[in-house]
Amino acid sequence: MSRSNSPLEDGVEENAPPSLESEIQEERIAARRLRIAARVQARKRETEGQHDTHHQEVTKELSRSQKQREQSRRRLNKLQSDGTELVTNIQVAVDARESQRRTEEAEAKRQRTEKLENEAKTSLEKFEDIRKKWASAKAKEIPQDLRDALNMQQRHCAQLIEEKSKIINELQQELKVQDDKYVKDLKRQAEDVDLMIERMEEQIKNLMKCYREELTQIEKAFELERRELLHSNYKKWEQTMQHRREKEMEYLTMRMKQVEDQAQQLQQLRVQDAEEYNMIKIKLETDVQILEQQLQHMKATFQLNQEKLEYNFQVLKKRDEENTITKSQQKRRITRLQDVLNNLRIKLKKQEKQFKEESHTLSEDCKRIMKQYQDMQKKMMYFASIDAKRFHEMWIMNEEEIKGLVKKALDANLIIHEQQLGMTYVRPNLPFMKSTGPIIPQHTKKKLTEVLAKQFLTAGQKITGDEEGVEESVSAGAQGESHQSKEQGQLEASYPENPDNLLPQISPKTMKKLLEIMCDECDFLVESKLLKLFSTLEKHEQSLMKLDSIFMALGVENEADVYKLADFLIKYSEQQIAENKKEDEEDGQIDEGKSQSYVSISSVEAAEGSSSMIERSTTTDLIHPNDVLKALKVYTEHYCKPREKHPLPSFINYEERDDSEDAAFWEAMANVIPESTQRVWSALETELEKYYKILTERSDLITETEGLKQQNTELRMLLHQYINSRVNAELEIPPTQVMQIDQR
Amino acid sequence: MAEFGDSVLEDLSASDQHTSFSMSRATADADKRKMRRIIAEDPDWSLAIVPYLRIICLQHIIDNFEKNPILDELPPADKVKVLEKLSTKLPISVTANLISDEGYWRRCSVERWGRRDVSYYGNSWRRMFLECHLESAIELFIPNTTDPNVILDKVPFYKNYVKKISVSQLLPPVKSSENRQKEDTLLAVGDGASEELSVSHFDFGMLLDKMTELEELHLVYGVRGCRMNFEWSLFEFTEQDCQSLAKALKSCKHLKVFRLHQSKVNDENVQTLCSSFLEHPSLRELDFSHNIIGERGARAIGKLLNSSKLEVLSLYDNKIKGHGAQAIAYALSRNENLTTLNLRLNRIGDEGGQCVANALLKNSTLINLHLGSNELTEPTANFLSRVLMQNKTLKSINLSCNRLGLDGGKQLQEGMAHNSSLVEFDLRLTEVGQESEYFISQILQRNKETAHRTPL
Repeated sequence: MSRSNSPLEDGVEENAPPSLESEIQEERIAARRLRIAARVQARKRETEGQHDTHHQEVTKELSRSQKQREQSRRRLNKLQSDGTELVTNIQVAVDARESQRRTEEAEAKRQRTEKLENEAKTSLEKFEDIRKKWASAKAKEIPQDLRDALNMQQRHCAQLIEEKSKIINELQQELKVQDDKYVKDLKRQAEDVDLMIERMEEQIKNLMKCYREELTQIEKAFELERRELLHSNYKKWEQTMQHRREKEMEYLTMRMKQVEDQAQQLQQLRVQDAEEYNMIKIKLETDVQILEQQLQHMKATFQLNQEKLEYNFQVLKKRDEENTITKSQQKRRITRLQDVLNNLRIKLKKQEKQFKEESHTLSEDCKRIMKQYQDMQKKMMYFASIDAKRFHEMWIMNEEEIKGLVKKALDANLIIHEQQLGMTYVRPNLPFMKSTGPIIPQHTKKKLTEVLAKQFLTAGQKITGDEEGVEESVSAGAQGESHQSKEQGQLEASYPENPDNLLPQISPKTMKKLLEIMCDECDFLVESKLLKLFSTLEKHEQSLMKLDSIFMALGVENEADVYKLADFLIKYSEQQIAENKKEDEEDGQIDEGKSQSYVSISSVEAAEGSSSMIERSTTTDLIHPNDVLKALKVYTEHYCKPREKHPLPSFINYEERDDSEDAAFWEAMANVIPESTQRVWSALETELEKYYKILTERSDLITETEGLKQQNTELRMLLHQYINSRVNAELEIPPTQVMQIDQR
Repeated sequence: MAEFGDSVLEDLSASDQHTSFSMSRATADADKRKMRRIIAEDPDWSLAIVPYLRIICLQHIIDNFEKNPILDELPPADKVKVLEKLSTKLPISVTANLISDEGYWRRCSVERWGRRDVSYYGNSWRRMFLECHLESAIELFIPNTTDPNVILDKVPFYKNYVKKISVSQLLPPVKSSENRQKEDTLLAVGDGASEELSVSHFDFGMLLDKMTELEELHLVYGVRGCRMNFEWSLFEFTEQDCQSLAKALKSCKHLKVFRLHQSKVNDENVQTLCSSFLEHPSLRELDFSHNIIGERGARAIGKLLNSSKLEVLSLYDNKIKGHGAQAIAYALSRNENLTTLNLRLNRIGDEGGQCVANALLKNSTLINLHLGSNELTEPTANFLSRVLMQNKTLKSINLSCNRLGLDGGKQLQEGMAHNSSLVEFDLRLTEVGQESEYFISQILQRNKETAHRTPL
């Protein structure tokens, strides 16, 4: 601002006082000094002003230090240029003076040379004059004239010389003046040099001062700026630090919280893990134990299996060997059997023919047997009616007898009540006393067969051990049966009354066997559902149930049927065997003289046959399991048809008669005297018994007292006898005394 | 080694006396100080009365350094000690090449030449010492009386370090043998016989061809401080001197700066010197200030300008007039090396000024131009204003002490209005008028600011 104006001021100042260019040195110096002082003053003011405005210019584009530097630089440049100007001013002035002097000198020199030339010219003219006059002087002959001329000449010469010397003097004067001038110049130059030195020193001083000032200014500016910067930075730092501290605290608290949480979690986890670990450990340990056990077990099984397998292997090896052998055998046998097959085919043709004949004959037989069967039915009907009649009679007879007994019992009861107990007795109402004849039950007799089967089976089981108990067991079975029939008395009689009289012929053992075979073979007759149900039962019961269902299917309903069936089966088997034998014989006849293999087969068959024979011999007759079906088929053909026809209803009535009601009937008969009465009776009986016992005791005691009385008397007699004997006296201590002591 | 050991032993026996002497002195001191245990005021005082052998040896080496210089063999710590105590009076023949320690050379220089600015000597105290030594030897050389070998013997020691010879006086030869102690008296005595003397000054030919490293040569053929014994013959630059100097300069290939001041160098001399400088490989600065060079000399210099690599030419205070300036200006118009031209205090006049200004229109290398005190007037200002408008390289012009007048000032002002490169323009004592001066100073200020800013 003011700085920009300064050059103007300077310029004005520099040129304003004319003294600057004046010849007087002091004046110029003074003027310059004033100017410098003014400048310094202005500068100081400026810097102070700057200082004041320093704080306001913070927001300016340039930083303070830069500004200060720029300022200082300008100022110093200015100062320096001014200073150099000041110093060189002298030089310039001297130069100017020098050039002035030179021009002056040149002028003076020119004038001088001109003057000298003029003078030389004039003097030369004069000299010529003088020389010319020398010639005229020679010409003069008059001594006075000559003397005059010589004097003239002398005067002219002297004048010339004087002129010359005058010029010389002038020049010498001038030289002196020049010398003086030179000395003056020298002095002046010395002064100038001194001044210059002074100025230079002053300049140096000034510059140094200014430099120092500026340096301090710059330093101050820098310092201030630095301080401000420091301050701002410190503030910033503080702020950020505060921020950071806060954040840190926050973070710390957060972290502590987190740590706590995590510690808790950790603890929880630890506990959980420990628990889990324990659990797992226990579990695993148990698992390990179990696995070890399993391992042991497996090892054992492995061992076992190994052994087994080894054994099996051995066996299989053996078998393989056997198989190879048997294979070869089989091959051989196949060839042989081929032969046999051929034979058998031939035989088959033969037999077919034979069977045709046989069937023919058998159909005839069948017709005949049918006829016989019809006859037999007729007979049966007859016998049935007779049996019914006899049963009726028997029933009536027994009823009468039992009625009598009831009456007797009631009478006895009456007597007991009235006489013994002294109570009034009301005769109970007995409806069955009025009815006569067998009661007609409504039941089927299904259970009968079951019971039968059971009897046989149980009996058979018992019997299997010893053959001797057969009779007894049969009788026992008979007894079981008789229990059912409630005819105790007619135990023996029941057998002959059996329609077929088959029972004695078939031993219980065979019966059992037969039943077992049937049970095994006729599974198909049993319903599949039932079979399933049976599978849970015991084998015995299972077979029982099966038999029951089989019998039902076959239509076997009573004991007789069972026996009939058994008999039929035995017969059938015998028949079959007989046929087989026949065939065998025929075969043997046909295949006589055949290969050895045939012999072996026949021998096997013979062995089979012999075994069956043996069985037969022991069990009298037994059907082959394979034939059971055929036999049963035949049996059903034979026996089921007539039953379906129901030719005799009375027979059927009889047949269907149920004696379950009979039992009740008879029970009612038996229970005419009720339980309480019976208890009364039994109590009475026991009391009477007691009474009787007491009575008998009493009678016994009476007889005993009688005996004792007799003995007493006898003993008195003996005692008397002993005491009175002499032996007593001889004894040291007579028993009499002892007796006396005892008495005492 | 054996030799060294022997010598040391010898010297030890010799120095025994010294130690005994010092001991006796010590005892004397002890007596004086009344058996004090510690003498605080004496910095060299030590409890140990007998110094260490090592120190004695070092002392011995120092004492006999001239005869037996041992320095590089010593360990660094001892070397430092030796250098600290080494005498500054030792001959250069011993020390110049051996000792490179600046501390020692500083001591020598300060002791012998007083304090001088070492920066003028490339910050090397050794160089400073040796240059001063050589200069003083040359300055005190009296032809025909002093043995030239005094200087020549030491050339091998100078030549590696001396780069500048700045001679401020050269003594003329002396005929009378009665008095040769002092120059002043010598000159006073030789007063009468000086007229007949035609023998030259110190012949540089024998020195310069050996000084291969020399870069600067400043010469003054004259006598310093002659006072009342002034005699023109003392300041004579003779033909013979010129011949020998020219010859010597031709052989000096590394010379960069040549200055010949106040030696009455006339046109013939300049011609001879310039012919020797023609095609000089390294000359950069030529200074013939304060001589009496005229037209022909200027012409010779103008010729030299374009056949060398001169950058600075100073012809301050000569007698060059219009024709000479014309010759220089002609050379300047074709030159591409010259940066500074100083024609101050000549008489080139308007004729020469116009020629120079015309040359500057074509030149594009000159930076500084000094035409102070040259009797220039308005016409030159007119030409210069055109130069100011066109030339972009000139930075400083000095036209002081020329009567340019108000019109000339106005013309220059006009020229300056179109200039942006000029930084200095001296118009003192030119009668150009305040207005123009102020205007020009403002433009200069502006130019300065821009010049200051552009490199930033």
